[in-house]
Amino acid sequence: MSHRLGKILIVDDDVDFVSSLSAFLEAQGYTSIKAHDGREGLRLAKQERPDLIIMDIMMKERTEGFFTAQEIRRATGLGDVPIFVVSALYSKLDGFEIPPEVEWLAHDAFFPKPIDMFRLLESIRERVPGNREPVAARLGKEE
Amino acid sequence: MNGEHVPDLDFQKEPESIIVIDDDYAMRLSCSQILTKSGFQVETYEDGARGLEAIARLKPSLVVVDLKMPGISGMEVISRLHDGDPCIVTIVITGYATIGTAVEAMKAGAYDFLPKPFKPDELRLIVRRGLERRCLLLRARRAEMERELLKRRFITFVSHELKTPLAAVHQYLDVLKHLGDGKTSGVDREVWLGRCLRRTEEMQEIINDWLTLAKMESERLSRRRIRVDLARIIPEIIKNYEDLAAARGISLRSELPGEGYLVWGDPNCLTVLLDNLIVNAIKYNKPEGTVAVSGEVIDGEVTICVADTGIGIPEEYRDRLFDEFFRIKDTACEEVTGTGLGLPICKRIVSEMSGRIDVNSQVGVGSVFSVHLPACREPDEQGAKEEAASESQVG
Repeated sequence: MSHRLGKILIVDDDVDFVSSLSAFLEAQGYTSIKAHDGREGLRLAKQERPDLIIMDIMMKERTEGFFTAQEIRRATGLGDVPIFVVSALYSKLDGFEIPPEVEWLAHDAFFPKPIDMFRLLESIRERVPGNREPVAARLGKEE
Repeated sequence: MNGEHVPDLDFQKEPESIIVIDDDYAMRLSCSQILTKSGFQVETYEDGARGLEAIARLKPSLVVVDLKMPGISGMEVISRLHDGDPCIVTIVITGYATIGTAVEAMKAGAYDFLPKPFKPDELRLIVRRGLERRCLLLRARRAEMERELLKRRFITFVSHELKTPLAAVHQYLDVLKHLGDGKTSGVDREVWLGRCLRRTEEMQEIINDWLTLAKMESERLSRRRIRVDLARIIPEIIKNYEDLAAARGISLRSELPGEGYLVWGDPNCLTVLLDNLIVNAIKYNKPEGTVAVSGEVIDGEVTICVADTGIGIPEEYRDRLFDEFFRIKDTACEEVTGTGLGLPICKRIVSEMSGRIDVNSQVGVGSVFSVHLPACREPDEQGAKEEAASESQVG
């Protein structure tokens, strides 16, 4: 198997979202791990020790992603893993406009769905070491 | 929500608390005695400052206040005591000489006034009326808050339930575009396209649900009436849900004979009605459970029952079951998704057809939803003519 750039855990109850994102990340050279709810996400985070986690907010419970992120933060050795929160909710919806520095929220970046793949890849690259190639080149963009 | 204190409506729990503010010791004592005897919890204070402090701390249901006091006046107490709870009822006690001021106090938000001297029964009566008033205020306030909450939930729902499938489709297409033709070796394009189609269908379902409801709300629901044999359409509907049921290990069966359950109605609406009831019976069932659709015709009424062996509906939720956006918050069904519009749609359809819908349920055993519709007694030929006429109108 070829050298992989890093391991990314995707936690989302939307199967389609997980498969397309996973295929994209794999094509970019990352190993992707899929979890379909908060509990599976937490288990895989502990077991696989990913370099980065992409987490949906509203899964079975309205704020399942937030609480899973918090749990992952508490888990030994995973306090520093970057967590990107994604949601189809309008980002400025009442009650979800929470600054990332709030401790219980414990996420590093927010991406509204559908995700801007270019921005996502850039942000992953900033957080996950071992990749020096410019994002634009890897997405096949001209400049 | 906004941190406002809205006390519980359950008055039976503990005695109502009343605060009496008056600088006259004798008045405080007699008010306290009269009201305590009537079963209220009474606290008395000799000036406005202490009274206001106690109101903020004790959150009473009702305040009796003398207008003329040294320090903070009764009028100022009235203008400030609603800060914490806008539903506190205030009764002003005042000498005859200051009735003009009492009227001013009522303009400022006091509920009523009691001129001195007064009889114990007069105080009791005015306090009871005041508390009834409070009860109405609280109900109105609760209703307002619930409406507000529903509105907010509606926005969340629209935002999430519609954007999720759209985002999924967008992302499939976006990833296909990014990867380009050469790099999609690990991707089954056919599968992805199939998934995109399914998600757009899902969106259409959600939009259709809303449109059905919106049409009903604007009372433009189809008035089309043709003769429909429920025994014929039910097996067709059941067929559509066999996969869903099988995926959960649920057996789904029709216990209706081949024909004879004739009603006048719009077949599309009747299908929506039965769709909703059957899907609910599957979704709220237990693994390996059963869903049985049965029926009977008695005294000119067709009754169709959809019975499940599911988690059941706790008594306290049954009244609100057919309310829009109402969803049971219970650990037994927290994993079940839904729009909260299904049963309101059912109720609306049934009542449009001059029928009714009810539910019998036992927690942990199952629920039976029964739809009662007037039977169609027209002879076959007449029905067939109507059917043909109606079809031609639509076509």
